[in-house]
Amino acid sequence: MKGLLLKDLYMAVKYCRAYLLIAVVFLAVSFAGQGGFFVMFYPCIFAGMIPVTLLGYDERSKWHVYSGALPYTRGEIVSAKYLVSLIVQCAMILLTAAVHTLRLSLSGSFVPQNLFALLSVLSAMSLVSSSLTLPFMFRFGVEKGRIAYYVTVGIFCGCSAAMTSVVGADLAMDLSFGNAFALLLPAAAGIYALSWYLSILFYKKREF
Amino acid sequence: MNALEIKNLSKSFPGFQLSDFNLTLPAGCILGLIGENGAGKSTVIKLILGMLKKEGGSISILGKENADTLTLVREDVGVVLDEVGIPECLNARQVGNIMRHTFGNWDDTEYARLLKQLSLPENKPFRDLSRGMKMKLGIAVALSHHSRLLILDEATSGLDPVVRDEVVEMLGAFTRDENHSILISSHIVSDLERLCDYVAFLHKGRLLLVEEKDRLLEEYGILHCTREQFDRLPCAAVRRRKETPYGIEAIVRREAIPAGIHVSPISIEELFVFMVKEAR
Repeated sequence: MKGLLLKDLYMAVKYCRAYLLIAVVFLAVSFAGQGGFFVMFYPCIFAGMIPVTLLGYDERSKWHVYSGALPYTRGEIVSAKYLVSLIVQCAMILLTAAVHTLRLSLSGSFVPQNLFALLSVLSAMSLVSSSLTLPFMFRFGVEKGRIAYYVTVGIFCGCSAAMTSVVGADLAMDLSFGNAFALLLPAAAGIYALSWYLSILFYKKREF
Repeated sequence: MNALEIKNLSKSFPGFQLSDFNLTLPAGCILGLIGENGAGKSTVIKLILGMLKKEGGSISILGKENADTLTLVREDVGVVLDEVGIPECLNARQVGNIMRHTFGNWDDTEYARLLKQLSLPENKPFRDLSRGMKMKLGIAVALSHHSRLLILDEATSGLDPVVRDEVVEMLGAFTRDENHSILISSHIVSDLERLCDYVAFLHKGRLLLVEEKDRLLEEYGILHCTREQFDRLPCAAVRRRKETPYGIEAIVRREAIPAGIHVSPISIEELFVFMVKEAR
């Protein structure tokens, strides 16, 4: 599987520079205390979409057919994308949390106990977004699966707007909403694992 | 041992059916799968490689039949597809790095040698290579992991004559080792005629013929004659005829032609066209 990961790394470096630029802009806006939850969460959701972009390029170059002739199982081909997704999302979550922590520390409103809650929300948002999208991509291909991508982004935009209207746009707000956050991460991880399993199942049945 | 053994293979799509397909490729030989566009050549190759799921029959690759071992078998199979399938942003050096971690028996020295032999630039992205260079890179990859079986799907289509000649020479060199075999599909029959030991004619998912190339060329010939000469030929000798203003041109079985009548050699392409027209 190392070969598949290396291939995705090469492609991500080449094709996903724009993602990094957009993430930096969003993080900068978030650092300035503007834009509410949407701006804070979006780079993480965006990171979850990088495997979708890579799958699109795979299909365009017919790599998805060629990889079927290489000594990889279908499970390994799917797993490589999920691992890439995890790596990119972890990096973006940590970056977002760092920016948020720095901003709150500078304003003197940082509460260390809330960091876990923030990480949980960011991880859940990020993991669930890719969990909802990838099985469709592996089942129907990127063109048809893209509809799932738009639906996912739509849902998260709606959720972010709803959250902002309920708790306010102030990112310095207290994130200690109780123990509900403790459940968020394992729940999101469970959904991610289920999505991974389903994608392998769908991809094994796919014909090229 | 046979490099490839296909028995009673079947697969259907709307408007297409491959049924009771039988094919054997002996080790050390080159078999050309010849067919028109849409005849089912790529379907057969994808079934062999497990990209499509067969509905019936069995496929044995390098002596291994179980679908569970297919991933392992692919270590010994080099594949070049019509659209090579290498991501467009990657260059030959990066492809080599990826394949080093893909094939257990990847040979960096051989890959470097082939890149040099084929004049392939190491740092040029795949998208900037010509069709011929893309195909040559695919072949370099297929030959750099000590494959015992090469499967090439339309690998010579769209190449200029010089590159085609280079490719055909490389494939010829590959089969100098008696353990190496090639299954190559094409609708450009002249390439296969130069290269193959065996030819298989495929038409609308049906195998019309599988035979040693030299035997076919010995068995059939073309006869140019007048109407009177033609009428004196035994019926069993004639497979197909065409009337022209200058006389009759017929594909005949040499052994059934009376002595003294000159029969010209036939090409595999002429024979293929004849058999397809007959099958229609």
